[in-house]
Amino acid sequence: MKDIFTDLYNKVLGFFRQTEKKEEESAKAVACNRLKFVLMQDRTNLTPELMDRMRKELIELLSKYVEMDKEALELGFEQEGNQMALMLSIPVLRAKDEAEIEAILEKEDEEKAKKEEENTTEPKDDTDENNVDDSDADETSDSDENPETISDDIIVEEVEIEIIPEEEESAEPKEKKKNKASKTSK
Amino acid sequence: MTALVEEEKTVNKKGDIMSGRVIVITSGKGGVGKTTTNANIGTALARAGKKVVMIDTDLGLRNLDLLLGLENRIVYTIVDVVEERCKLKQALVKDKKNPNLCLLAAAQTRDKTAVTEEQLKDICEELKKDFDFILVDCPAGIEQGFQNAVAGASEAIVVTTPEMSAVRDADRIIGLLEAKEEIKSYKLLINRVRPSMIKSNDMMSVEDVVEILSAPLVGIIPEDTGIITSTNKGEPIVNDEKSLAGQAYRNVARRIIGEDVPFLNLEEDTSIMSKVKKFFTGLMGKEK
Repeated sequence: MKDIFTDLYNKVLGFFRQTEKKEEESAKAVACNRLKFVLMQDRTNLTPELMDRMRKELIELLSKYVEMDKEALELGFEQEGNQMALMLSIPVLRAKDEAEIEAILEKEDEEKAKKEEENTTEPKDDTDENNVDDSDADETSDSDENPETISDDIIVEEVEIEIIPEEEESAEPKEKKKNKASKTSK
Repeated sequence: MTALVEEEKTVNKKGDIMSGRVIVITSGKGGVGKTTTNANIGTALARAGKKVVMIDTDLGLRNLDLLLGLENRIVYTIVDVVEERCKLKQALVKDKKNPNLCLLAAAQTRDKTAVTEEQLKDICEELKKDFDFILVDCPAGIEQGFQNAVAGASEAIVVTTPEMSAVRDADRIIGLLEAKEEIKSYKLLINRVRPSMIKSNDMMSVEDVVEILSAPLVGIIPEDTGIITSTNKGEPIVNDEKSLAGQAYRNVARRIIGEDVPFLNLEEDTSIMSKVKKFFTGLMGKEK
């Protein structure tokens, strides 16, 4: 008799657990996430390619100053009332030494100077609408040659961009789990 | 109810300089219920004693006349008015039941270029003198038809459903409305809400849609098979006192007038008790 009850209890509990689990990847959640992502593109005219590029460039730029978990970097748009905010969440692994930073910057400056000397300004076609992006890209493509700051292979793999919910900025492990979940669901 | 209507009427007659509110009902996506919403809000406003005219701007694809059951009464259309084959007042088709309600039908044989933005603006200005509400039924899409419909309006109701494509298009429409100086305010009407699907997390909730679009809400309309039968009969569902969707539309009309009406609790409808209740009221209805 006891067994029947415990069995029933477990079954009921299991049922609720299942439904809870379902919530994470429910049709509703998938719809919300997909929609938020697509609306971000619609509203900003940023295609996934451009977002990826922005992400790459941000990693390049920021990794000059801090050592961070490049894979866990999250970039996305968030809605705050009527305004859109660009949210960037970066788990910092280690602060860099002053000397280290300066060395990188110096090297970069040198390379820039070199490039300017060479001054091979080829006429570029400005077909791209995003002029601002373009100019940024020019600068960073210079530093692309800096082997210390960037390793391309990591970033190219990471295309998934999550929109970061407000409260979760502090709770990193949770975030990662969520990331994985949404990736597998795709 | 009739006393209230009379009272409103006299007030209207007294205030000679009537300046009606022009509200465009739009959605971007087709098939989300713009025309149904238009017919029902218009009828509900008229039932509340307001003088209402509905303009169908969906030239070539008119349907508002069908939903109102007025398809056989149309003599002149908006194109006839614009091309001066008749006076504006001649083209207004009075509703079968409610003398407060009129329809300015779209032409079925012409395309969207037959009426210009300026002409629609003029028509709206003219109608403002005689009506409390001018509801403009907007065609789907964001092309000229949309531009025309919006031209004369100062308020907008964006109809959407809790489906991705409808919400996305609504977002686009909201962007376009925000860019229009003449549109002073816009509100969201979420149609075809299915409480049971929302409850099981199979569908986006009203809250989700509102959060994503960040627009103020004017109405939540539950999915109701009665809409189909009411369309078939040419009788807006607001005239059906028992219908939940009808109730929801009546509430929308009251909110438009300025009343503070709480949103219907749709979840109640899926409870066993209400199903039992519904069953019995259904039985009673049949007996009558």
